Amino acid sequence: MGAALITVSTDTQFVHLAWRRHEKSLENVQYLMGADPSGKVSRLFGVYVEDAGLALRGTFLINPEGRLLNSEVSFFNMGRNIDELMRKFKANLYLAKKPAEACPAQWKDEGDKTLTPGPNMVGKVHEALAK
Amino acid sequence: MTSSDSNPLQLGGQVPNFELSVYDPVKNDFGKISLDEIKSQGKWTILFFYPADFTFV
Repeated sequence: MGAALITVSTDTQFVHLAWRRHEKSLENVQYLMGADPSGKVSRLFGVYVEDAGLALRGTFLINPEGRLLNSEVSFFNMGRNIDELMRKFKANLYLAKKPAEACPAQWKDEGDKTLTPGPNMVGKVHEALAK
Repeated sequence: MTSSDSNPLQLGGQVPNFELSVYDPVKNDFGKISLDEIKSQGKWTILFFYPADFTFV
């Protein structure tokens, strides 16, 4: 899908291998498992917790030009939902193709209504969405 | 690119290059990946941080 997915924790690549061998639910894993034992990359993205030596559950989307376009960080005790990530990724892919448009709240997939901001839309978002 | 320590990342801003050692389950081998390498392939990058192996992600 034109994206490189990399999972990152402060474990080493050796522990990643051991975990993947051990954990049945990781049998079909295809993505690269990144090792950040120094916390350098986790600090860069602001998810490193110094006292714990661990990274928070942060998800970051970077476009092919290297711009950060989406971020979401959850605390240690709350897992993520792949559907939420895919919705945001699809929206960003769409907007990369249609830079003049905007994906409104509740936008789910290509084909859903978008908005084209401009003078005609000021104070008329309701009408623009109802069209 | 300026140091990330003095300039926290902002949405819409440029991400400085970084490199990670990786385990590649497809090749069953170790290696390295950098943001520059992924950009040079014209791909998006999705980073997925989590606290620790052997727990849920």
